[in-house]
Amino acid sequence: MQLLRDLGRRKVRTTLTILGITIGIWALVVFGSMANKINALVAGGSEFYAGKVTVSAAGGSMGFGSPLAISAADRIAGLPGVDVVVPGVSLLMSDQASTVSFGIPELIEGQVAGADRGRETFALHYASGRALTPADEGSDVTVVGSDIARQHNLRVGDSLTLRGEPFTVVGILEPTLTAPDTTAVVPLAAGQRLFVASLPTLVSARLDPTAIASGLTVYPKPGVAPEAVAAEIKTAEPDLVTMTSADFDRQVGSSTSILNAILVGIALISLVVGGLSVINTMAMSVAERTREIGIKRAIGGGRLRIVRELVTESALIGFLGGAVGLALGAALVLAANEAGRSSGTVLFQLTPGTALTAVAFSTLLGAFAGFVPALHAARLDPVTALRYE
Amino acid sequence: MAPTALLEGANLRKTYRLGRDTTVEALRGVDVRIEPGEMVAIMGPSGSGKSTLMHILGLLHAPDLNHGPRPELRFEGRDIVALSDAERTRIRARRMGFVFQDFNLVPTLTALENVMLACDYAGVRGPAARTASRGALDLVGLAGRGDHRPVELSGGEQQRVAIARALVNRPSLVLADEPTGNLDSERSAEVLALLRRFNREHGQTFVLVTHDAEVGAACDRVVRMRDGRVRDQAPVALATPVDLSPRVAAVA
Repeated sequence: MQLLRDLGRRKVRTTLTILGITIGIWALVVFGSMANKINALVAGGSEFYAGKVTVSAAGGSMGFGSPLAISAADRIAGLPGVDVVVPGVSLLMSDQASTVSFGIPELIEGQVAGADRGRETFALHYASGRALTPADEGSDVTVVGSDIARQHNLRVGDSLTLRGEPFTVVGILEPTLTAPDTTAVVPLAAGQRLFVASLPTLVSARLDPTAIASGLTVYPKPGVAPEAVAAEIKTAEPDLVTMTSADFDRQVGSSTSILNAILVGIALISLVVGGLSVINTMAMSVAERTREIGIKRAIGGGRLRIVRELVTESALIGFLGGAVGLALGAALVLAANEAGRSSGTVLFQLTPGTALTAVAFSTLLGAFAGFVPALHAARLDPVTALRYE
Repeated sequence: MAPTALLEGANLRKTYRLGRDTTVEALRGVDVRIEPGEMVAIMGPSGSGKSTLMHILGLLHAPDLNHGPRPELRFEGRDIVALSDAERTRIRARRMGFVFQDFNLVPTLTALENVMLACDYAGVRGPAARTASRGALDLVGLAGRGDHRPVELSGGEQQRVAIARALVNRPSLVLADEPTGNLDSERSAEVLALLRRFNREHGQTFVLVTHDAEVGAACDRVVRMRDGRVRDQAPVALATPVDLSPRVAAVA
């Protein structure tokens, strides 16, 4: 308490130092949150693709794009390592370029509920309403992700227009921080209809909507590696493209780890600058207080005691800077996420771990920055220090 | 002289190195003896070594060991020539008090907290420290000023806080370096009378370094120094009375 009051009696210096640390921690929080978000997307994606093989027609990517004949599903189901094959369609919710956003674009997914026979391991939780059931086939209903629900201000029972057709919302998902948040799930027949309608007329005119899919989700038999199944499919169906969790990590993981390194690098540079500013201020502060230290030494203040006082003070400065930086960073992150939500651009994710690390790190940094000047102060000759002007 | 001195030094030498080739022989072999209950002034012109002597007597500096006859320094019967910094700091905290020319209070602390700091260093904390510090401030006539910070106090008041701080642990020796050097004659007389009163009434031993002949005249004995040596140490003639009531003091 007395220490806090003493800091208050050295307002300008304390404020400037805290500001230096604040900026560093602010940067760490903001960039750290950005890295968290990217990692969550990647981890979510990796989990999403885990334990299965996603098959699409050549020319498409990640399960949407070109149509493939649904009959391929039966052929693949006959392969030795394959357990269940679920055909599905996915298409972008809108063709407009404006929906191209950070992370994962808004999608319409069509599939027969329960067709995976319980094999899907990616758990979804419902904020309200219910899941689709096989009985929904033929009706125009949808389960929407949390971001879509928020963006369109949807409740269960509301109507959502997908590609020009009205759908009734029957369920809203809890946030997953990855693909399902920006997905509207519809029954397979409805998805097939929207999918064919989205294709160029020349192509769609020749297609029977009920005979096509845009992708297949293939679940291997127990004990069979998804990669082995992917290899089987590639051999049997050379026109199809497969995607496994390992492929996803290879494609996405390497690029995001570079991005992560850049983000963390920027944050660390700001912290080093902040740390140097604390060292600088503590050195100045010790010089400013040379006489005071001389007095304390002369009247019987031990060296350890002097070091402890100064290190505690700079640790407190570091802690305060960290707390203020965290508050400002959190405010920016929340505001940016709130502002970006309507356009589907949720850039940041501030985790308790990041927050705790930021404050702990700045406190340690402060203590460390105070240590060298404190040691210098404790070694001062009391008589010389007393004469210091 | 009493059989055991409070502080006894012999062959005290101190050479300071100012540059690569320049050294200053501040003390060239001093013998000194301070009896319990004495009030001694160390006087002499600038550069005579009086401050250096006080720093050695106050354990702020150690005498040179590497040339001349081996120095001796005993405080309360204990050999203190070769003590570590930590041990010397401990003796300063518990057995000595310091008063400086520039008052030298900690600016961020109140008067009471400045006094309590000395208790803290001596290992006295909590309510005991608060009571002792209030008592010490009361003794120097600053009972109502404990919550003021040094900038809010006059020079004379600051020096009285410093005296309270020096006395609060009831040290066996108080060392004062030009305690009246920054005060006008009226404040000087007040401070001097205060020191004299503690000496008379509580038997407090004082060693004062001063330029001021009137301060010297108020002491029991004056140690005169010149060129790093003690020239003489004559008792002060008792014919010089000092007014013990600071409020009406007006030493011309």
